[in-house]
Amino acid sequence: MKVSVQAVAVWGKIAPSHSITAIMITDDQQTIVTGSQEGQICLWDLSSELKISSKEILFGHTASVTCLAKAREFEKQPYVVSATENGEMCVWNVSSGQCIENTKLPYRHTAICYYHCSFRMTGEGWLLCCGEYQDVLIIDAKTLGVLHTLSSSQSSDWINCMCIIHSARVQEDSLVAVSVTGVLKVWDLSSSLNSIQERQSVCEKESKSLDCINCQAVRFCTYTKRLLLVVFSTCWQVYDYCDFALLCTEFCKSGQCFAGGEVLAAYRLIIWTEDGHSYIYQLLNRWAQMGNSHKKFSGLSKSTYPADGKVLKETVYPHLLCITGVKENKSFPFVMGFMNERKEPFYKVLFSGEASGRITLWHVPDVPVSTFDGSPKEIPITATWTLQDNFDNHSMSEGIIAHLDTSKDGIESAVVSSSVYIPSLDKLVCGCENGKIFVTLGLKTARARLLENISLLKDNLPYKVLNGHSSRVTCLLYPHDKSVRFDPSWLLSGGQDSFVICWDIFTGGILHQFSLQSGPVTELLRSSENYRLKDHSIVCCVCSDHSVAILHLQKRVCLLHARKHLFPVKKVKFDLVENLLIVGCEDDSVYIWEIETGTLERHETGETAKAILTSIEDSEYLVADALLSVSQESKRNKNAGYKHCSSYKHGMVSYNLTHTEKSSDKLTDTSCIQQPFTIVPVKTKWNNANFHILLFDLEKLEELLLSSQLNGLKSSNSFHNYDTLERAKSTIEKRALTLKRNKTAGSISPVDGQVDTACLNQDCRDSNAARPLEESGGMKRQKKMKSSRKIRMQPPGNIDVNVTTDTAKLLLSCLLPWGVDKEIDNHCVRHLDILRLQCPVSFGLVSNETHLSLMFPGWKCTDCGVREEHAVINLFSKRVLDLSNKYLAATEGQTAKKDGPENNVYGTKGLETVFFFSRIALINRIINIPSAVTFHKLCMCFSGKSGYHFPDFGSVSLLKLICCWGDQSIKIIEAMQAVLLAEVQMTMNTLRKTAICREPLAIVENGNGKLRTLPKTEKRDLQICNTLKIFLCHVVSVLKHDKSSNSADFQDVEDMPDRCVLEESESPGERHLKTVTKYQVP
Amino acid sequence: EEEFKWLLQEEVHAVLKQLQDILKEASQRFTLPASGSGGAVKQENFVLSTSGTDQVKGVLTLQGDALCQADVNLKTPRNNQLLHFAFREDKQWKLQQIQDARNHVNQAIYLLMNRDVNYQFKTGSEVLKLMDAVMLQLSRARNRLTTPATLTLPEIASSGLTKMFTPALPPDILVNFYINLNKLCLTVYQLHVLQPSTTKNFKPAGGSILHNPGAMFEFGNQRYEVSHVHKVECVVPWLNDALVFFTVSLQLCQQLKDKISVFSSYWNYRPY
Repeated sequence: MKVSVQAVAVWGKIAPSHSITAIMITDDQQTIVTGSQEGQICLWDLSSELKISSKEILFGHTASVTCLAKAREFEKQPYVVSATENGEMCVWNVSSGQCIENTKLPYRHTAICYYHCSFRMTGEGWLLCCGEYQDVLIIDAKTLGVLHTLSSSQSSDWINCMCIIHSARVQEDSLVAVSVTGVLKVWDLSSSLNSIQERQSVCEKESKSLDCINCQAVRFCTYTKRLLLVVFSTCWQVYDYCDFALLCTEFCKSGQCFAGGEVLAAYRLIIWTEDGHSYIYQLLNRWAQMGNSHKKFSGLSKSTYPADGKVLKETVYPHLLCITGVKENKSFPFVMGFMNERKEPFYKVLFSGEASGRITLWHVPDVPVSTFDGSPKEIPITATWTLQDNFDNHSMSEGIIAHLDTSKDGIESAVVSSSVYIPSLDKLVCGCENGKIFVTLGLKTARARLLENISLLKDNLPYKVLNGHSSRVTCLLYPHDKSVRFDPSWLLSGGQDSFVICWDIFTGGILHQFSLQSGPVTELLRSSENYRLKDHSIVCCVCSDHSVAILHLQKRVCLLHARKHLFPVKKVKFDLVENLLIVGCEDDSVYIWEIETGTLERHETGETAKAILTSIEDSEYLVADALLSVSQESKRNKNAGYKHCSSYKHGMVSYNLTHTEKSSDKLTDTSCIQQPFTIVPVKTKWNNANFHILLFDLEKLEELLLSSQLNGLKSSNSFHNYDTLERAKSTIEKRALTLKRNKTAGSISPVDGQVDTACLNQDCRDSNAARPLEESGGMKRQKKMKSSRKIRMQPPGNIDVNVTTDTAKLLLSCLLPWGVDKEIDNHCVRHLDILRLQCPVSFGLVSNETHLSLMFPGWKCTDCGVREEHAVINLFSKRVLDLSNKYLAATEGQTAKKDGPENNVYGTKGLETVFFFSRIALINRIINIPSAVTFHKLCMCFSGKSGYHFPDFGSVSLLKLICCWGDQSIKIIEAMQAVLLAEVQMTMNTLRKTAICREPLAIVENGNGKLRTLPKTEKRDLQICNTLKIFLCHVVSVLKHDKSSNSADFQDVEDMPDRCVLEESESPGERHLKTVTKYQVP
Repeated sequence: EEEFKWLLQEEVHAVLKQLQDILKEASQRFTLPASGSGGAVKQENFVLSTSGTDQVKGVLTLQGDALCQADVNLKTPRNNQLLHFAFREDKQWKLQQIQDARNHVNQAIYLLMNRDVNYQFKTGSEVLKLMDAVMLQLSRARNRLTTPATLTLPEIASSGLTKMFTPALPPDILVNFYINLNKLCLTVYQLHVLQPSTTKNFKPAGGSILHNPGAMFEFGNQRYEVSHVHKVECVVPWLNDALVFFTVSLQLCQQLKDKISVFSSYWNYRPY
């Protein structure tokens, strides 16, 4: 099952650095895909007018990306495969940003070619890979497993580059490859399909040494079907493919290196260099009569030659036609590519990516010509873009705590240099460039950052500033997080000034200051769980001069400062028995220190070092994890039982957190609550850009909401008659009372939470009149939350309902397309207490534990034409509107239903939030699940619920609709937004109706009665299906939809009866049981 | 700041030049066939020896990354029979480790060559990135030599190596060549067939560089147990040189990185 986590990115001012190492344009010329040295992949939108804008960033790789290639027939599935320096491979859906498949193999690929032969192959095709291993690997494009190798019979070596040649003449596909030593090899593909499938060894057909090294590209001219272009770093050569005779050679200018080339048209080539220049050549062919001595071409090409037996030797001369170049010499290594499309809507595009992260695009004319005097003509740059451009153009780009700073002193806000989120306290700790540390409440901060019109929130946002460091705070650690033996009040920070300060997080006071005097502190690590040798409050500290300090927090002394390491520290371990500190360095050497005396006991390299490190594996060690900027190796934290999916340092942190959540969830550990909301600080490798990801766990949140809804129901019964303002006031007063009682009691009972929700609901309802009141209430709530949090520290078993609803509302705010309809906006703000967004948010898509894609700021409406309305923000695409209309149409029948109990609907406005929320969660689930393979599980889990939905008729078609969306590769986020919009619209309509006219309601209902009969028959069929439980293959898909729709209705039902029968305070479970019994009998 | 500029413009290039020289020296040790010299790569003979017993003796001829000749004399302990086998004339055995190390070094050189003296480094991170890339290649080159592949016995048995000898290897003998640090190693495994009826519980051995007597495996529907292991080795001097060069250049790289990081730490608000 997939994780139902929604991610929202809060970007900073600076774009994450992205040193492009690989670039490609998808076949539809709509997306540019780039891979970076940092390990992420960026998707850039390329409009039909050749405008570039960055769209999404994909996390998941832990090392530098080496190559990108398409992984399917692009028209069918927009999949792209990426490979990295450490052998990871990943298939991405570039239209949704989802990770489809990933693997890690012990091979480093430098080039991948997709090969698919539809009529002779089963499966999704092959990825032909070459890299730092001998010869060519065949990898299954679907499973990413190694199928076979193409081996060489002689001079086998690494392959530098390759290309696939489709020869129509012989009906044969071949792979032409050039090895590092400059040997050109040809393998037959189509004729060796069988032997590959049967795993017989396949050897090359031809092998010829070209006497030149550092081959950069090999390309076949599909126009003449004869010329083979081979680009070396020092020269490029053209060969005759028939006999591999050298036709021409052109050397590069001194100081330049050729980096690649492509055939533009017959006898026309484009060659580009490392430094971003490109040259278009025309090959002037001259036919020369040669003697018979050269007669050594293959029989196939004979037909093209005159029949008189004389052989024509072709010689070609290159003539420079056009050049392109970057204006100012940016002098980064460039990665370039060329996209050659002959079809009309497409362009001939030369593109390049720089190490600085800039993409440049040239539109190469169909017929390039030189200037009249014969000198080469320069083709101008068509478009250029960097990530930073996106960040500069959009107002939302400010750090997560930026508003704190500005509100305080008005000067330019300090850049956050490191941060940590403490889930158990909901505290976000941010260290800044100027040495200050801000401690705020995570959820409140996020709300204040994202939502508008909540100046009160901003003003009341409780935060503390810790002043202690004189320069940049480089790392933060809250050791209590993972191991309880640390005092919960301890917060550690390390700074550029080489100080490590131990703070009391509650009072903000400095407990101790360790002065290390060895350069900036790069890393703080807690010692592992079972290290009980000393009073076990030991923290390890890595400095930028590669020294390691062991700090004893309780005694407030530095036990050991090991300073001899020449290379960056990769691993830190403890040997319990001997009381040793074992430090593993980047260069695979190992230093062993005696903690007691502080002396270096041993220094080992090579095999011995490895052996030492592995032998200690089982005993105690610290993991130098994510943040250690020098190491990106994956390390496992075994003691906690979950993997540190050491994705790229960003991803890593985030996954640590999600994992913790999960593991704690599994363990049902009472001491650890699974928070539905987390903030994940993210740090980039090369620059100081920092951003945060808000993670919302939909399932968990829904679960919590439903339980709180129940509670809320109960309490709203008790408060049911409190309709007037005065009474609302009294509620608040009453709550304040309970609040006080709470404080004195020192713990919150679940009941209080319920009361709170109830009050909240009341507040929302009395929107206008009670506004000021609500505000004051809100303030009180805040205080209460604060206090309750403090209390919660001791018994952390309770989850504040307020937090839950606030979280849900925040997410809803993020999801709603604001500005589409003023009424809807107002409705949301006034009635539902869902606040308007300050600016569009960037959503993310979590594909699994380690793979995540995030939208860039300002990416949303380049393709939606609603731009003219300035008010519209946060609409993901135009399609959303259509979708929501469809949805509305499909839910007509349901609306009638809702109209029925309109009084009650009105009565329980606060629940709407919950309702919307469960809807979203549901859609998320529907769209996720059918694509998952675990279909049967699904059936099992839904068949139990299938009986429930009968009272609600309209929604079957509706759910079908949603399922169809899932199939139509409509993004989850779009679907969620559409449904949400429609639902809000619907409830608003309902409201309006009830407010203005009550009588027409009956008519409406009558009108809908007809509608209802239709689905009824449908329903019956479905029922039969259910009873028979026939899971026949081709019915499966339909059934699947029905099943999930059932579950969806289950949600509705749950909601509807709750509204209808407010008086009943029974749990939905009982409720459903009733419905089941009622409707199970047909 | 001036100093940092100087570092970027002068010092970095000096270090890069130094690195290039060292690595070129290292790469010459690997004598690349296509490096232009044209003629045949010179062959070197190495006499394999063990300190103790003289049960295995051999002469290996190394040509670049390939073993072109091997003469192995094996005295079987059972019947004191002397076995002699050598490579077939037409066959060569590529030492993958040397080839990989050579390729990694050449890649590192290529990376360095791209930034010649005229190239202006503008930011420190640019240098750091380059150093990272170079160090990655170098440490891989070194690791290829220092860590031989761990092979399982069936993998050794099925490798092409067994078919390269004349007279053909007896079925109860396996050989494996590999590089460990600066040494060229030959291991000879003598096997005996495990009868299917044997009471010994069969446990296939995993991958290892050097298997111990008693390791068992299954190959071609037969179960075998290793009865004797002979390991002979000889020092290849140029491999030693290459390893030293790798280590020195890695340290140079790291020093350069450290120098740049020191500067970056003084500027708080600037991305370096």
